[in-house]
Amino acid sequence: MTTIPRNFVLLEELESGEKSTGDGTISFGLENSEDILLSSWICTIIGPQHTPFDNRFYSLKLYCDKDYPTKPPTVRFTTKINMGCVNQQNGVVEPKNLPILTNWNSNYRIQNILSELRREMSSSPNKKLVQPPEGANF
Amino acid sequence: MASLPKRIIKETQRLITEPAPGISATPATDNFRYFKVAISGPLDSPFEGGIFNLELFLTDDYPMSAPKVRFLTKIYHPNIDKLGRICLDILKDKWSPALQIRTVLLSIQALLSAPNPDDPLANDVAEHWKTNEKEAMARAREWTRLYAEQPIEN
Repeated sequence: MTTIPRNFVLLEELESGEKSTGDGTISFGLENSEDILLSSWICTIIGPQHTPFDNRFYSLKLYCDKDYPTKPPTVRFTTKINMGCVNQQNGVVEPKNLPILTNWNSNYRIQNILSELRREMSSSPNKKLVQPPEGANF
Repeated sequence: MASLPKRIIKETQRLITEPAPGISATPATDNFRYFKVAISGPLDSPFEGGIFNLELFLTDDYPMSAPKVRFLTKIYHPNIDKLGRICLDILKDKWSPALQIRTVLLSIQALLSAPNPDDPLANDVAEHWKTNEKEAMARAREWTRLYAEQPIEN
């Protein structure tokens, strides 16, 4: 198995993010377009229908250090959200509470994390949680 | 690494034993398809005096598809964008399996001598090059001095 080096993995992810495949419910790009290390990303998730997150825009920051994708990135919501895996003080997604981060595999990508977070919004424990007013930030 | 194709082994050996002038390429110790590359800025170009670092990766499809390569050193050039990605035909539709890592790196070195603002990747830089070439080249020299000059080793 050929290992794709970190930077080339992230360049591919950037290109797929720019093409905006899918239904537009998740998107991501570099926070700074001159970030040659490709470390800091900004992401958006649009909440799923028939949930308390319905039609709301959630912004996240994601940081890929030099060990990505061997190790998962750190993920943090900047838009306030009440969800089991999110630390309510700072918006950080707790790796131990999100299976994709707990059982990380180097084939996983940014897109997979965002999709899983969006799926979490539809889980029954999260659907019952009261949400902060729309647009509030951590 | 036993599965490394013969062609890649051969190319790597030749890159090390007979390096092209002003170009070095060294495989990573943990991934023999991943090379750290350094290219000296060509004489009589705004990049003269600079050493530019690049990274190069041979995908599973190599040599049926081109190597992936980008600059890690910041450079002011109309065919190289802010993330170091390179607009060069042989890296895209003009790739042929008859080309090699060496030819790719020589072409990149040649691109430094002959920027092509009519086929730009960095639009703002290309515009600068077309409207005021003298000033654009001065900026390129400035960036070479700022980002690509290596400290003199003792």
